[in-house]
Amino acid sequence: MRRDSFDTSAFTHRERPKREPKPVLRLLRRRALLAPLLAAGLCLLGGLGGCKPKKADSDSSLPRNQTLYIGGRQWGPPSSINPLAPQPDWPAISGVKLMYETLFFYDLLTGKMVPLLAESYTETPDSFEVLLHEKARWSDGKPVTGEDIKYTFDLGKKHKDIPIAPIWTYLSAVRLPEVEAGSVPAGGHPRRILFEFNKEKKNPLVVLDAFEEYRMLPKHVIEPLLASVNGDMNEFLKIKFHDPKQAVVSGPYRIHSIENEKIALVRRDDYWGNEVLHGGKLPGPKYIVHPVYKSNDHFSIALQQGRLDVSSTFIPRIWLKQPKGVGTWFSKPPYYLGSAIPMLFLNVTHPPLNDVRMRRAMGFSINYTDIRELAVSGYSEPLRPGLILPFGLESKYFSEEDAKKYGTWFDVDRAKQLLKEAGYRPVWNDKGELVETRDAQGNKVPTVYIKSPTGWTDWESIVRIVVRSMRAAGIDARERFVDASLFWGALYTGTFDMIMWTPHSQPTPSKPWSRMDYVMATADFAPEGEKMFKNFGRFNNPKAPGYVPRIDELIQTIPVMKGEELAKGLRELNALFMQYQPTLPLVYRADQLYEFSTKVWEGFPTSENPYAPPQVPGDRMGTELLWHIRAKGTN
Amino acid sequence: MLANYPTLRHILGRAGWYFVTFLVAVTINFFLPRLGDANPIDTIIARASAGSSDAVAQKKIAESYLKEFRLIQLDDQGEIIRDAKGDPIKTGLAEQFVSYLVMSLKGDLGTSILQYPKKVSEIIKDALPWTLTLQLPTIIFGWLVGNLLGALAAYKRGVFDRVLYPLALLASAVPAFCVGILLVYVFGIRLEWFPAVGGYDDSMVPNLSWEFISSASYYYVLPFLSIFLIVLGGQAIGMRSMCIYELGTDYVKYAKLLGIRESKILFYMFRNAMLPQLTGLALALGAMVGGALITEMIFSYPGLGMAVLTAIQGNDYSVITGCTLLVTVTVLIANFSVDILVGLLDPRIRAAQGGGSK
Repeated sequence: MRRDSFDTSAFTHRERPKREPKPVLRLLRRRALLAPLLAAGLCLLGGLGGCKPKKADSDSSLPRNQTLYIGGRQWGPPSSINPLAPQPDWPAISGVKLMYETLFFYDLLTGKMVPLLAESYTETPDSFEVLLHEKARWSDGKPVTGEDIKYTFDLGKKHKDIPIAPIWTYLSAVRLPEVEAGSVPAGGHPRRILFEFNKEKKNPLVVLDAFEEYRMLPKHVIEPLLASVNGDMNEFLKIKFHDPKQAVVSGPYRIHSIENEKIALVRRDDYWGNEVLHGGKLPGPKYIVHPVYKSNDHFSIALQQGRLDVSSTFIPRIWLKQPKGVGTWFSKPPYYLGSAIPMLFLNVTHPPLNDVRMRRAMGFSINYTDIRELAVSGYSEPLRPGLILPFGLESKYFSEEDAKKYGTWFDVDRAKQLLKEAGYRPVWNDKGELVETRDAQGNKVPTVYIKSPTGWTDWESIVRIVVRSMRAAGIDARERFVDASLFWGALYTGTFDMIMWTPHSQPTPSKPWSRMDYVMATADFAPEGEKMFKNFGRFNNPKAPGYVPRIDELIQTIPVMKGEELAKGLRELNALFMQYQPTLPLVYRADQLYEFSTKVWEGFPTSENPYAPPQVPGDRMGTELLWHIRAKGTN
Repeated sequence: MLANYPTLRHILGRAGWYFVTFLVAVTINFFLPRLGDANPIDTIIARASAGSSDAVAQKKIAESYLKEFRLIQLDDQGEIIRDAKGDPIKTGLAEQFVSYLVMSLKGDLGTSILQYPKKVSEIIKDALPWTLTLQLPTIIFGWLVGNLLGALAAYKRGVFDRVLYPLALLASAVPAFCVGILLVYVFGIRLEWFPAVGGYDDSMVPNLSWEFISSASYYYVLPFLSIFLIVLGGQAIGMRSMCIYELGTDYVKYAKLLGIRESKILFYMFRNAMLPQLTGLALALGAMVGGALITEMIFSYPGLGMAVLTAIQGNDYSVITGCTLLVTVTVLIANFSVDILVGLLDPRIRAAQGGGSK
């Protein structure tokens, strides 16, 4: 620690004080010497002060064999679990169904909607009709009714700034036919909910996504709370929901305690779904705890020491942890089940990226094997061209023929050939390094910069490999790592040459359409400088020359297609993507990494025992595993 | 009039200077983070509105946050003042500074941008106990033990000194993160004698039970050692050289010739060598609230250092200025107390300030 340097020369001339200090000063002097001792005593108290007791249940210690520790879903000190907040804390974050529940689960292994609050839905050309479970209950004992569902959706109609609002682009109304017809059974409650599609923008896929995505809220709690702040959503969002009276939920767990170091949940033994969905069984863990650590490393150490049971953090070279009881979905490479495609969005208005030949040359120049093996520890299937995953549910839409005909893959000679045909000429120095690229007229082609957030280390390594690959092929590309806050602005406003992003990574019923929509949609087209939340590279501007209307047409019609027609539509759209190459897919990645330790709990789903998809317990369908895992040494 | 009260004059004079320093520091605190081109409000707006492509909703979200952080002008009713085009009028930097000053003086540190809707004061209140728990005992024990060992080494010389001195030199020279990481690696991960991260067992809910206190103490060993060793080393070296200097002085020689007890001489010497060490201690205690960032990071201690780091990474202006304000104030208070205390304790300085004897 610091110690101020001390100039002894000031004391070379020493002089005894002429008088003894006054008694008071003498006392002070003693005091000064005593002070550190006093402070030391105080600090012990201070130490205890640091761990001052906070609100908690009567049980202040959580037995290890009744507690499931999960990690990777909460990175900072908790601030709010308001279910309407755009970025609440775990377990109120989007996708987690431990407290608030959605109408359905989506099983990414089978592609089916699995009942949760709702037991079934029927589809008509203009609507979905959802039927709620009769026995679904809130934690205060009141039934979950159609009114709650209608209220939750209608909130987004009124308040355009809450997460559920965007669904109203695709819905015209949410209605309760039983209430309208006066046919609600006596003593019962409305259970049928009709979701009417917006006729101009008919998109059943997005509505299915909404059934799986948005958590339903108790009208009888939220409505008075909102009224108490005069319906002002900004004021409402300041309510933290730490008070159990506010956090009335329908899910299997409720808050046990919230501290800066961890969030703890406790099982609700009277959860309605135990009876209805799980044959009377209780979830294995009585408590679920999410410790708040500061870095990936801490979660990684905790998992390997068995202090963490399930995690979704990036752990390099996971195979080295296998002997310590750490497991993943596959016990062999790629270890994780991919569901998303991290890629480079190219701003197609910036030269030379406006030239499709340059974009395709880039596609051929990148060493995808290096990315897979070096940047992501091999946690990816080998990359294939296009936006459709060549494995899992989507593989039935993947066309080998199209990939060969239109796609790009790592082939430097092909990349150089394409550049040459397009008139680009790289200039190399004596050491064989790229100096610049010139175009057909001999002018310098602008250097293209790849933006990526500082400190996102796996992306940083990906970008470095891409830059090295492109430069080796003669393309003047450079990395530009920017502060995360600048990154978001650049992404949405399109102020970049190339930028890293993973489009629509969550596994939802609308894949692969929603991924393609995210990459190529022109619906809310905005020029560079204004915000646009899809198609960041401003591809296929409807008002610019070279507009390809067929792409938009397919994006609009695929959601209502079925069967053979759907396969054909997706194939055509994917082929168009490959021909125009508006983005550069780089690798596959699991939306959520999933690794577990079998030190305390056993029975986690794996590819050999796939009773639930690889998702952290509580996240989406991963909730299911809570009823299957058991502490070691119990039944 | 004050001429008759030199001590008071001295104190007031110092206080005046400290107030000026405070104002300069506050100004720098405010403007420094704003010099970059990052816009934290953009970040939360981006996060809050991700997925919503409705332009009107976008604008509404943006305005509500701008209003919340007083970045656009409001009228007396709290309504947004708009220009002819209906766009809100932005608050200038100077006006932001004035409102920041007014708020700071009222003790209102504002709302965090990153951890919205948490108050900055809440964040500080949560983080401060960790920082104090981590550092106060380490600094004080390190200081005490280090000074005692240093004085002993200087007085005893011989084997004791020859062993202690290089060890202390090593301890003080090794950077904090290095000691921390080595301790974690050896005792936390390899040997698994002590937990590698955290402040207490994850299965505990903080309370005043014996189990909890013992768990917290157990978790405290490694972080404590990582700072303690370094403080100890530095203090021991400083005290040793101070004492060696004192040993050569006439009063010690005289006392020895008089045959005064060794412990008594040691006490005299200790007292004289203490002054600069005491200054160092007070300053260290003042700077302590800044947090031991590296140690906090290594051990996942959610103290102030981490809070500031997260805030800087996310351009969370209100948290940055709030924490730096706290650090500024405590450092200034510590300096001020040292100034006054040293004046009171050291007759020579008092004499010099008082314009000689009176």
